[in-house]
Amino acid sequence: MAIVVKLDDLLHERRMTLTELSGRIGMTLANLSILKTGKARAIRFSTLEAICDALSCQPGDILTFEPEGVGEESFT
Amino acid sequence: MSSTASSSPALPIARLLLRILILVNWLWGVAILVLLFGVPNRDWILSALKLAGSPDADRVVMALRATVVLGLVVIPLNNIFLTRLLAIVDTVRAGDPFVAANAKRLQTMAWAMVALQVLGMVIGAIIKAVSTPAHPINVDTGGSINGWLAVLLTFLLARVFAEGAHMREDLQGTV
Repeated sequence: MAIVVKLDDLLHERRMTLTELSGRIGMTLANLSILKTGKARAIRFSTLEAICDALSCQPGDILTFEPEGVGEESFT
Repeated sequence: MSSTASSSPALPIARLLLRILILVNWLWGVAILVLLFGVPNRDWILSALKLAGSPDADRVVMALRATVVLGLVVIPLNNIFLTRLLAIVDTVRAGDPFVAANAKRLQTMAWAMVALQVLGMVIGAIIKAVSTPAHPINVDTGGSINGWLAVLLTFLLARVFAEGAHMREDLQGTV
């Protein structure tokens, strides 16, 4: 998918674990893991809001758009 | 919601009824085979219909045999319909009916219903062709607008299930 979730990098910057974030925003670890690994098909505004609040960041810090095929071209 | 569906008495009843109907359908098939190759020979049919000596006798016997052969084709179509419906009932019992497989099943059922409607029309046409005022033959082939409406409804339902399954997939992937 062209939308990339940067939650892992953000957590690393904030020195926070996924379990801690899960506890802070009241979301299951399983769902957060789905989001972190890029397996989610959609994200609710309420989830985004809670994560932004907990990590003191903007939605753009969590989600970025990387057109598909760009990475492949750089290898050829 | 799923617990409500699985605890409903309608589902075990539907399941049992469908299993019985599947069995009855195959028994019906065996009965048609017996009818085709066994019991009623030409003389038996002619005496039953009081056609002995009639110039229409051969035509009527041929038409009735063709009708029985077409009746045999109905059996696998009925089986397709009933087994798919049973599988759908099972998914409702499991609490997850909005799956792509059910949309496909409903579409298969709708096509089976189209084939059954067409067969009914062909059988009706054959009977009409050989039925005379002197020797009327009445066979209920079920050819009505209701049958075609049921076909339309099933195709629409298949589409509804396909959309439902898609929405469900989206919902499951939403965090």
